[in-house]
Amino acid sequence: MTVKSPNLVSVAWLRRVGAMASTLLVTSFLVFSSLYLAPGDPVAFLVKGRSPSPEQLAAIRHEYGFDKPFPVRYWDWLTGLLHGDFGQSYQLHASVASVIGSRLPSTLLLVALATVLIVVLGVGLGVFGALRGGKGVVVAVTVGAAVPSFTAAIVLRSVFGVRLGWFPTVGTGSGFGDELHHMLLPAIALAITFMALVTRVTRAAMLEELGREHVEVVTSRGLPRTAVIRRHVLRNALGPVVTVSALLISGLLVSTAIVESAFGMNGVGSLLVSSVNHMDFPVVQAVVLLVVAAFVVVNTVVDLVYPVIDPRVRAAR
Amino acid sequence: MTVTIRSRRTALAAATALALTVTAAACSGKAGGSGGSRDGRAGSTTGAGKTSYHLTADTGTPKGDVDSFTWSLFAEPPSIDYTQAFDYPPNQVLANVCESLLRWNPDLTTSPGLATAWQNPDSKTWVFTIRDGVRFHDGTTLTADDVVASLSRNMDPDAASVWANQYRNVDKIEKTGPLQVTVHLKSPDSTFLEYMAASPGTVESAATLTADGKDYGGPAKGVNCTGPFSFGSWQPGQSIVLKRFDGYWDPSLKAHSKQVKFVFIVDPTARVNAFQTGEVDGGWMIPPGSFSQLASNVSFGKSTMVADEVVANLSGPLGDPRVRQALLMATDRKGIIDAGDGGVGEIADSLVSADNWSNAPEAEKKAGTTGLPSYPYDKAKAKALAQQAGVHGQEVVIATSPLDTQTTIITQAIAQACTDIGLTPKIDTIAADKYTALFTDPAARKGVDLFLTFWYTSITDPLDMYASLETGAFSNYGGYSNKDFDAAFEQAVGSYDPAARAQATGKAQQIALTELPWLPLYDEPVSVYQGPKITGVKPSIDYLYYPWAAEIGAR
Repeated sequence: MTVKSPNLVSVAWLRRVGAMASTLLVTSFLVFSSLYLAPGDPVAFLVKGRSPSPEQLAAIRHEYGFDKPFPVRYWDWLTGLLHGDFGQSYQLHASVASVIGSRLPSTLLLVALATVLIVVLGVGLGVFGALRGGKGVVVAVTVGAAVPSFTAAIVLRSVFGVRLGWFPTVGTGSGFGDELHHMLLPAIALAITFMALVTRVTRAAMLEELGREHVEVVTSRGLPRTAVIRRHVLRNALGPVVTVSALLISGLLVSTAIVESAFGMNGVGSLLVSSVNHMDFPVVQAVVLLVVAAFVVVNTVVDLVYPVIDPRVRAAR
Repeated sequence: MTVTIRSRRTALAAATALALTVTAAACSGKAGGSGGSRDGRAGSTTGAGKTSYHLTADTGTPKGDVDSFTWSLFAEPPSIDYTQAFDYPPNQVLANVCESLLRWNPDLTTSPGLATAWQNPDSKTWVFTIRDGVRFHDGTTLTADDVVASLSRNMDPDAASVWANQYRNVDKIEKTGPLQVTVHLKSPDSTFLEYMAASPGTVESAATLTADGKDYGGPAKGVNCTGPFSFGSWQPGQSIVLKRFDGYWDPSLKAHSKQVKFVFIVDPTARVNAFQTGEVDGGWMIPPGSFSQLASNVSFGKSTMVADEVVANLSGPLGDPRVRQALLMATDRKGIIDAGDGGVGEIADSLVSADNWSNAPEAEKKAGTTGLPSYPYDKAKAKALAQQAGVHGQEVVIATSPLDTQTTIITQAIAQACTDIGLTPKIDTIAADKYTALFTDPAARKGVDLFLTFWYTSITDPLDMYASLETGAFSNYGGYSNKDFDAAFEQAVGSYDPAARAQATGKAQQIALTELPWLPLYDEPVSVYQGPKITGVKPSIDYLYYPWAAEIGAR
């Protein structure tokens, strides 16, 4: 094993940060340009069905910068981003930062809650399935994976919200306890498919590890069953589980759109939908960039965590 | 000339699902529009069928006051600036906060509002006497200066008012006394006064307009008007709260509730669920699929809304008026109402609802609403007429968008009618924003023969609708042009005498209904839900401009 010098470590870090920055830069360009290639003209939305005079049209185009050439608009937008200025929303007369900022906390709470459900229940059920459950868990998981979140939302809402009255059916609530109460059903609806997938992966990985030679060896040496499972099976199975979970979780931000609409929550997901419908480009760009950033950050975290889970990875580098 | 596309935004999931349905139906050519066999399809999730219904003028006097009630909007208003208020969400909030010179009443008549009297000494001048002693929510007193500043703002290119068109004939607005404002017109305009009962006549404090600038009407600043409720707070993405204004000038409309909280719920099913669990106390525009579910808590009221199929191309296969007449005759309009609207609605006799004639003298009202050219459902007769006009399988493009169930059902019924008279329909399903562009962009209408609109008028006057059929009008989507129609229309706009105006309007209407540049489908009443805690609302389309929330109190 080689001992890395501090210098080398920081170079590796710089490289990683550089990779992150360039990924974001490339996506920022793709995001910005793709929306301008999309059919339709945001001006049509901005004039809201009036018949403006050519001068008024020119004034609107100038106010929103549509009269500038594409590279200039991209540069303005990019430099704005670096100063924390995401531009003005066309649809809601406010800055994009404030529009997203006011909706982000509830969406983050929803995503966090769903993450907990996915990780804790997903991994838990997977382990249970590998050790005891067998067929029952497989069937449950197949059903769970096949339930799209909007179907789950409809069922949960009408059974636990309308019929039984245990949970609220709309809104996000105020105060932490109330918010959790409001978010539980949406979080379940959001998590159910992903949870099933994580269960599947966990179970498969566990089963594979259980059949490995080293597990048989430690078992034959008389190591307690729980220690075998924890140290030799689960730990080795964690690699694929973490990778899959991370991918799923970083995609949760997008999936909130459907669930938020179904539960009447005004979060980032439903904002994305309405912004797309209204050609509110600055908001769409900011939300998409946020989603990409979430992906990049989560995957970087996984990269960092991986060597801790599996020292072989560190050795290989 | 009001451009109105009813925007009922649907959740992404539902929208996608609907889009697939439409495409599938279009491909298989199965449109199914005959007979009433499709009942209940509208609200398959809620199992609604036909609903027997009647219009209610008044839902009863509240037993007492309430502390607060919660009301649902199908979308968050982008702004509550009156010059930008041109959709259901901003208008129904603003109606309770800001007032206009005239008031549009639940029976669709007008009466004095912030102006106590008005005269027109000549056909190009309106003189308004402003009500004395009215206070804005910040405690300042209403003066003629506020009126001049507020009205003039609609003509300011920087303000980019959506109501600029209603001011197209205005030359100058000036203060002619401490409580007197004079409007000078470039040419006589009989509808100008009526628009003073809607958003174009809104009065805001001049000082507030200056102080708030670009932020006026936004979440941070709100508005400062004279209505029975004042702007309380606006949490973007969550809610708008209005507070009762204790200094309100009109004791008869003093609010029964200390507070109204508007919440934004886009998904129709989520809205209905919230009604059922009591999380939300009420709302306007109830999804037809839930009429039977919400039962007696839903009331219906007067409306100026008509669902129309707009003929966007008058030089194509639908260029011959006989083909358009045949198409309307072959359309199963009763079937559309039953399947799409839960049976709530009436086959439209005209492009305007009968209520639009409320202000006309009795004789003219009768002339304007009876004995009109009619097109009862008759497939055989329609087919014969179309053949006479040379129909032989030409293709017509029907543009649609997955907006809501009604839109889908109507489009399929129209496609069926096209098939029945020998045309070849092609349903073109486009995205919601592209659909919106049909109403504003002539280029977007290229290659489109027919599209659907739910058209309401903001004043009680058929002229508001018929303005769209004048040669060269912005919303004259098919480029319809008829000299006799234009002459009758211009005569009506220039006539201040109600009888003369109504007669000229009737003449224009007769031409429009014979030539059918738009096909009238059905009148849709206004629907409103009030939960078990509250009552008192007067169901009427005037909820866009009348302080309806003030009348809601304890049941």
